[in-house]
Amino acid sequence: MSLRVLRVGVAAAALAGAGVTGYLLSARWGAGELVCRTGGCETVQASGYAEVLGIPVAALGLATYAAIAFLMLFASPKALAAAVSLALAACLFSAYLLVVQAAVIGELCDWCLVNDALVSVVAALVLVMAWRSATGSAATSAPRGATHVPG
Amino acid sequence: MLSRGLLAASLAVAGVLAASLISASVFGASSSEPEEVAAPTSQLAGDPALLRRLPQDGTVLGSPDAPLTLVEYADLQCPFCAEWARRAFPELVRDYVAPGRLRIEFRGLAFVGPDSEIALRSALAAGQQDRLWDVVHLLYTNQGAENTGWVTQDLLDRIGTAVPDLHAGRMLGQRWTPLVERQLNVASRAAARDGISGTPAFLAGPTGGKLEPVVLSSLDAAPVRAHLDGLSVR
Repeated sequence: MSLRVLRVGVAAAALAGAGVTGYLLSARWGAGELVCRTGGCETVQASGYAEVLGIPVAALGLATYAAIAFLMLFASPKALAAAVSLALAACLFSAYLLVVQAAVIGELCDWCLVNDALVSVVAALVLVMAWRSATGSAATSAPRGATHVPG
Repeated sequence: MLSRGLLAASLAVAGVLAASLISASVFGASSSEPEEVAAPTSQLAGDPALLRRLPQDGTVLGSPDAPLTLVEYADLQCPFCAEWARRAFPELVRDYVAPGRLRIEFRGLAFVGPDSEIALRSALAAGQQDRLWDVVHLLYTNQGAENTGWVTQDLLDRIGTAVPDLHAGRMLGQRWTPLVERQLNVASRAAARDGISGTPAFLAGPTGGKLEPVVLSSLDAAPVRAHLDGLSVR
């Protein structure tokens, strides 16, 4: 799988994540009640863990997903490094929130679980990209001539 | 190509970011807890453990096998309801509910004002954890003047933490769920059907049978006792 395909995959998963977090944020701001099969969404969203320093976690997630999708427009190492930082931090924070839901709040939120899956996919793909890029294995799978340096 | 140094730096940044977010989340969640958590009942009137060993199921207090049923229509802001709750309720609990002779069903109404609704929603949400009656009892014993905003977040936090086996966060989070909406509507329709024009109002009868209005000649336990005892000897 080429780096370009991986970039598209990360961008697609990040945009899906932006959709989920955007939905959570719109419900928080009164656009309607969350569709929730577990019944725990409202409880989780009303808990003290749904905000960090007064900022809704859904807004942080939306901004993170948007930033990762934007970074995937660039093929530069610095953009990839920034995406790794954001995706991995988001994945670790999501894992923490999953533990909070199960162990502290005692309720699970459907949409948070969907977000957890998406952020895991984003983080995994970004790490694969980073590993390939750092070890140079992408060059071997790139089209012939792509690594040619003129001159 | 991403250098290994840049990759290591990005991993380190991720670790720092995640640690900062988690720290801020833990700090924010703990600081949003009420300060009274260490001594949550210090400023609460009433006994949070009054109903501790009694079965509850949603809006119903008492054994499902109890032969008699008492239905209470009440507004949690209504001062007469609070007076009845203070004077009559503990006695009825001791003499009828605890021995398994009576089950009491709460049908909450919210017509006095905004505090009525927020109090009722909180109680119904506690009912999802089968702790409605504990919250109702503490709201009555800590009732403030009508429509003064006495049903504060602080009061609900203290009640939530004082009631045994009640998860306060879940109670507060479930106040606007579809189930609570449905319970509000069901009680309101039942009140219209039963011709309830004021609170507190009571219906009593054999469980599963026809319930009849209880005439409240006073706000102590005597009128309800007389009605229940009359049913028991039939």
